[in-house]
Amino acid sequence: MKLEERLEAYKKSFQKQAPKEAQEIMHRATEDLRNSGILARTVKVGDMAPDFSLNNTRGQVVALSDLLDGGPVVASFYRGRW
Amino acid sequence: MEDFTSQGATLVLISPQLEEHNRIIAEEKKLTVDILSDPGNEMAARYGLKFQLPEDLQKIYMQFGIDLPAHNGDDSWTLPLPARLIIDTDGVIRYAEINADYTVRPDPEHTLAALKAIGSL
Repeated sequence: MKLEERLEAYKKSFQKQAPKEAQEIMHRATEDLRNSGILARTVKVGDMAPDFSLNNTRGQVVALSDLLDGGPVVASFYRGRW
Repeated sequence: MEDFTSQGATLVLISPQLEEHNRIIAEEKKLTVDILSDPGNEMAARYGLKFQLPEDLQKIYMQFGIDLPAHNGDDSWTLPLPARLIIDTDGVIRYAEINADYTVRPDPEHTLAALKAIGSL
């Protein structure tokens, strides 16, 4: 099953289980976020990517500009492990 | 992951979690890519991705045992929008898949197709 299909199936099974009020709060939060116009204020194709220097898990500083010396970079922003 | 590398690209994950929590993910999932720590979502903010969870949602998270301040090391209850970006060697963003719904993750197939398209120009 493609990732999108699996996520949809997971969402559907979650929606059956989680308390209704919690689901409404989550749904409203996502809708408010969408309506806030945040998507219009993100970086866009054609923009320069802000450079970053961030720590990896081995105590090293990783800079975007250094990575780009070796080729293109796929940067994935993600919320974490929960 | 290997597919991205075969295109000559480096993949990095960026999360607001403390390094120690990122390290746990890296070990659990046996990741070969770097997870970078972005405290307080400062870099996410520069990319226009930072948002704050409303208070009623914060309470829900705590009820589900999701303690964001403990994971992220700050009280802001902010997160990055899930985003996958391809940045070329000139530092220009050539592809951006960004979603206001954090349950929707970018499909790796889309990213790979975009990478190949950029590489063939």
